[in-house]
Amino acid sequence: MISSVCPYHALLIQFAAATGYKSGLILHFGGFMLVIEGVTQVYRGGVMALNDVNIEIKPGLFGLLGPNGAGKSTLMRTIATLQAPSKGNIHFGDIDVIRTPDLLRRVLGYLPQDFGVYPRVSAYAMLDHMAILKGIADGKERRQLVETLLRQTNLWAVRNKAIAGFSGGMRQRYGIAQALIGKPQLLIVDEPTAGLDPEERNRFLNLLADVSQNVVVILSTHIVDDVAQLCSDMAIISKGHIVRQGAPAALTAELKGKVWRSFIDKSELDAAKGRHNVILSRLVGGRTLIHVVADSSPGEGFEPVTPDLEDVYFTALASTPKS
Amino acid sequence: MLSKIARFEFFYQLKSPVFWVSSIVFFGMAFGSVASSRIHIGAGGNTNINAPFAIVITLLVMSVFSLFLIAAFVANVIVRDDDTGYGPIIRSTRVTKFDYLFGRFTGAFLASALAFASVPLGLFAGIHVPWIDHEQLGPIVVEHYVIAYLVYALPTLFMASAILFAVSAIVRSMTLTYMGVIVLFIVYGISSQWLSDLKNESFAALFDPFGLGAVSLVTKYWTASDRNTMLPAIDGIVAQNRLLWIGVSFVLLWLGFALYRFTDRGVRRSSAKAEKDLGAATFVPVSVSPRFDAAALRAQAWKSTRFEMGQVMRSPAFFILLLLGIANTVSSVWVGTSIDDWMLLPVTRLMIRDISNAFSIAPVLIAAYYAGELVWRERERKSHELFGATPTPDWVFVAPKILAIALVLLLTLLVSVGVGIGVQVVRGYTLFELEKYVNWYVVPTFISFLQLAILAVFLQSLSPHKYIGWGLMGLYIVARSVISSLGFEHKLYLFGSTPGVPLSDMNGQGYFWIGRSWLELYWSAIALFLVLVSFAVWPRGTEVRYGPRFARLWRRLSGPAGTAIAASLTVAAVTGGWIYYNTNVLNEYRTTDQVEKLFGDGERALIQYLDKPQPRVIGTVLNIALYPADGRAVTTGDYLIENRTAAPLTEVHFDLPADANFKVLDIDGAHLAKTFKAYNYRIYSFDTPMAVGEKRHIRFTTELWQKGFKNSGNQTSILENGTFLNNMDISPVIGISRRSFLQDPAARRRQGLPAQLRMPKLEDKTAGGNSYLRPDSDWVSSDITLSTVADQTPIAPGYVMSDVTKDGRRTVHFRSDSPIQNFYSIQSARYAVKKETADGIDYSVYYHPQHATNVDLMMSVMKTSIGLYSKAFGPYQFRQARIMEFPAIATFAQSFANTIAYSEDIGFLQDSAALKTDPTKIDMVTFVTAHEIAHQWWAHQVLGADVQGSTMLSESFASYSALLTMEQIYGPEQVRKFLAQQRDKYLQGRLGETVEELPLMRVENQPYIHYYKGAMIMYRLKTELGVDVVNGALKKLVERFKFVTAPYPRTTDFLEILKTDSGPGHEELFADLFEKITLYDLKALSVKSTKRADGKFDVAIEIEAKKFHADGKGKETESPMTEAVPVGAFLVDPSDPKFDRKQVLSYEMKAIRTGKQTVTLVTDKAPKFVSVDPYSIWIDRELKDNTISADAPAS
Repeated sequence: MISSVCPYHALLIQFAAATGYKSGLILHFGGFMLVIEGVTQVYRGGVMALNDVNIEIKPGLFGLLGPNGAGKSTLMRTIATLQAPSKGNIHFGDIDVIRTPDLLRRVLGYLPQDFGVYPRVSAYAMLDHMAILKGIADGKERRQLVETLLRQTNLWAVRNKAIAGFSGGMRQRYGIAQALIGKPQLLIVDEPTAGLDPEERNRFLNLLADVSQNVVVILSTHIVDDVAQLCSDMAIISKGHIVRQGAPAALTAELKGKVWRSFIDKSELDAAKGRHNVILSRLVGGRTLIHVVADSSPGEGFEPVTPDLEDVYFTALASTPKS
Repeated sequence: MLSKIARFEFFYQLKSPVFWVSSIVFFGMAFGSVASSRIHIGAGGNTNINAPFAIVITLLVMSVFSLFLIAAFVANVIVRDDDTGYGPIIRSTRVTKFDYLFGRFTGAFLASALAFASVPLGLFAGIHVPWIDHEQLGPIVVEHYVIAYLVYALPTLFMASAILFAVSAIVRSMTLTYMGVIVLFIVYGISSQWLSDLKNESFAALFDPFGLGAVSLVTKYWTASDRNTMLPAIDGIVAQNRLLWIGVSFVLLWLGFALYRFTDRGVRRSSAKAEKDLGAATFVPVSVSPRFDAAALRAQAWKSTRFEMGQVMRSPAFFILLLLGIANTVSSVWVGTSIDDWMLLPVTRLMIRDISNAFSIAPVLIAAYYAGELVWRERERKSHELFGATPTPDWVFVAPKILAIALVLLLTLLVSVGVGIGVQVVRGYTLFELEKYVNWYVVPTFISFLQLAILAVFLQSLSPHKYIGWGLMGLYIVARSVISSLGFEHKLYLFGSTPGVPLSDMNGQGYFWIGRSWLELYWSAIALFLVLVSFAVWPRGTEVRYGPRFARLWRRLSGPAGTAIAASLTVAAVTGGWIYYNTNVLNEYRTTDQVEKLFGDGERALIQYLDKPQPRVIGTVLNIALYPADGRAVTTGDYLIENRTAAPLTEVHFDLPADANFKVLDIDGAHLAKTFKAYNYRIYSFDTPMAVGEKRHIRFTTELWQKGFKNSGNQTSILENGTFLNNMDISPVIGISRRSFLQDPAARRRQGLPAQLRMPKLEDKTAGGNSYLRPDSDWVSSDITLSTVADQTPIAPGYVMSDVTKDGRRTVHFRSDSPIQNFYSIQSARYAVKKETADGIDYSVYYHPQHATNVDLMMSVMKTSIGLYSKAFGPYQFRQARIMEFPAIATFAQSFANTIAYSEDIGFLQDSAALKTDPTKIDMVTFVTAHEIAHQWWAHQVLGADVQGSTMLSESFASYSALLTMEQIYGPEQVRKFLAQQRDKYLQGRLGETVEELPLMRVENQPYIHYYKGAMIMYRLKTELGVDVVNGALKKLVERFKFVTAPYPRTTDFLEILKTDSGPGHEELFADLFEKITLYDLKALSVKSTKRADGKFDVAIEIEAKKFHADGKGKETESPMTEAVPVGAFLVDPSDPKFDRKQVLSYEMKAIRTGKQTVTLVTDKAPKFVSVDPYSIWIDRELKDNTISADAPAS
């Protein structure tokens, strides 16, 4: 939406870069759009980690859903300028991410899937160091910022402890604290909920939702609920392909009337898979529940169900082209 | 179970790249040490390349390095399962801890033993290369390799494996195990330095875990013949050492076993887990905005540097390395200023010399190690994604790492200066001269450390893995020490190499710093280039592939970085060009091989002129103008020559000094007929032949002036303060002599030259027309006018005729009235001078004002020794005697006519006060001064013919004379420590013989014979015949041969006088001392003291004796002994520092024959020690067993 007036903002950023002028002003406007076009990542040996990925992401919380090994982290790292794609373009507003990664990094907050920290360095010292690297050069401002962030992420009491000894939740909170330094316009969080208990997970997602006003937040996850709860927009990635994208509600609506379920014996599962387009099967109370996608009732014993995002997800995975 | 695990482990290790890489590296090192013509371990001289001794030493030395290999194998055993996370799975199986650990240990040990077998294989393969020098190859005995490997290498490998097993079981980290290896390495280095002292050698031999000490001790005096035929026997100290360490190994294995916890490591975050997981957050944005201006960048760079420095300095490894560096420096500085048996003052220059030697390896390790740690840390700690996504410019990642390493190195540098100052304080020396520490040490060293840090970071940034980066750095470290022996000697080749700058208190850094500064600039420009390349390919974020990194190189290099890269390359090209212009255009650049070849070609071209009759120089007039600041000397000379041959001469040949530019070289009635430009050789033809007895003049003008700077070997004779020129550097020599040719037999073979041109035989009556100093002159008259800058004192031989200072220059005219050798020194410096006159002789010492400590001592020794020698050998021929200090660029003292040139480092810096408190030390000032003064008789009155034995008449007699002076000053009992030192130096020296050891009377200018053995033989002669007989013979020799010309005297002339004067019955003694190489083995076996009725004691001593004669290669045959040998009884061990005359109860000559016997002494008191040859006058390889302590007397 606002990206249409972006020449002005981009100009300001360029100007700020050239003059060293504080670019804080621009960031208040926010609201750039992230455009990914034809991004392909080929690793050695011809492995295609990303295959012609095209997505447009508007401000708000965007969910990138996919199973392990689908290419989520590769895509996140590519957007976060940590590696260049073999092909394709990425723009954030008017920033050409691939050609001028430095400009993107100025508005980027990134929480990697897995990160470590140095031994013998406290949370405070590490966050302070990150703040310097993110351009918070003024000592007083930085102290204020670091202290505020530590309080907001409830790490104040453990600020002098080495991060190496933090629990999973504390570590993730530290991670989001550092990602938020410098008020990013693009926040990338890669599998942040893995390893968190349900309560921690909820709090974390709420925090993301808070942040996502006017900011592009990309949340990658393999948990459907993460996306279902909060995301205004999403994409499903599988084997390097974006197999479905859109608003969760819209995607669910597409499947309306097409999902059927049935309880069968475990021994009948293979036969059912041969006859029907089975998108999921799970054990419920000793019986096997299957969901089948079909335009009309697949037969006796099937009853229609209201599709949810999980059905969308598994349908999408089932339709992934063979690579 | 254990054997199955061992088997699995063994084959698992065989598949690892470490196994193959290290096997190849060790094979290559061993192969190279044999096949290369320049690097040999344990061989060289007359010791064959494949001598069993060389095989053992190579294996032992390599086994020290095998620590690195073994660490990889053994630590892997312990660490692997923790690293891979496979540990819990293994530990939950039924395998016991014992089977698990020792099975794996066995497998890993066998794998390292197999890898190390590549060393004997490499040694064996190396001798089969076609270019091997067959003269240096003995019979090939496969058994030697096998035994050396099994007996010497394997126990060491086992010990090393056990140590590292214990270490890694404790630390459970690969990195810390490697740190452990480095610690072991340095501790080993330090302790072997401390223990290299004679006093500690048997202790050192036992406790050296690698067995090198034990083998060195038992083979200490092995001759080439022994080394070529024998393996060190596995008994005595060698066996004890091996058994001790095998025992220690088992203890260590047990220790490692006990300390290894066969359960999972406690989870490290346990402490934090206890923390209450505090509730979640609600997010309120903070309105602090980033800035990306220059100030922010500076803050980022500086804070990052501090952050990185903190990472280094807070790591335990840093402190270990630093402490070891300090320990190493302290020990080296102590040892350095108390070399051998004497003490030097801890002046700042010597501190710097020793600190920079000792502190050279620790910084390289710190740079290499931390470059790997810092460059890879983010990736290893998985924080690279966090950092990579920040808006920090790429250079903020690169520069702080380099800067941090450099600053840490600077800190270590300052610590080392602190160590130097600390040692000075402890020694009570307070002239700290901080400006020298800064200018001579800190600044140049820091520049090279900075370059080192850059190289290390550069290599890491290009390497796909930390270990490869370390490996590359290791290659660089190896290259630093071997590249020049591979023929790449130019300083422009190897990163960071600069020419050495000899330091001197007199001359400072002289002009030598200029060449170094250019090279520093050149390498700094290249270092900047490397920084920029590191920056351009920096593996930011998750990108490690080379393709994408090189793809963004151009983007990163557009802009200022690109400009800087162009600038750095331009500066490198310009300075490189300027350096090349200086080293290769203004000066001549030749590699060692090229120089050797030049000598070879020169010999082939010129040998036809050897022994060609030539006129002789009989008078010299020189006018020398010195320009010390420019390093320039202009000489105008006039030689008076005479045809002293029996026939007219048609040609004059000149062998010209290579560095002097001959602007004029004219001979009366002669013209230049032929020039060999490459060899600086000219032939002039007389227009009318020079008649017998005719005299003519040679007139010449030379300029000695090095333009610019050289790659190495800058001229060191004309210096800003402290010029020391030899007259042969600036004037022509007539004719060519044997000594202009290659000497080293191996080099001669490489050049395809016939075997050594040896000195003419002692019996060769056709030789003897020349003295051994110069082939073209007899005694000459001299007239020298020497001018220099006004604030310096010019000195040349002769008496001062005039001394004029005018127009900023001081000109002094010297003339001699006695004939002198055509071999003298020209000196000039800003001297302080001390003068005294006694008995009509003017004594003076010219010294650097800072070096006044020993001037009075030198003065008194000059007077004492001239008085002593005048009485003993005949009058002193001059009215003056002078000592002149010259810069520490060379370390010797040399006697010229009435003049002794004395290096800063010999004598002027002796800590004479410390000598008084430490009686084990020797007063070298007295000895050296007395020796050089004695040369005024032995060389400057009597000079030997240029045949075998000539240097006995000068050097051996001078050392003998010096012993007389020492005896007069300190008493005969104190001569013991000096003789013991001479004995050791002789026995060590004969091992390095490359041609043939000769008996003293046939010595062919071999220093270990004419100095050390000569002193011992002459002293023994005095002991047996009495001082009057020996000195009387020497006095007759002077009377007969003083200033004679051809035929010059020979050793046989002296022996004839001696035989006549000593009367009959000494034939065997003279044969043993002068005609043969004779060695003894004297031992006191037991002693029994019995109190007699008159209150005295009968002391019965059982003695065992043997005598050997050795041939030129060291092969010995026993010979029956019937001699009188001194036997003594003492209250204190004669080798004890507290020993003095009062402790002697009895000292008598007793008849001793081969085998065991008992001799009896009678003493007033009960002896505490008895000894055969207590004062070390006989040449006995084992001195310790001469003395034993006496029991309580039986009543």
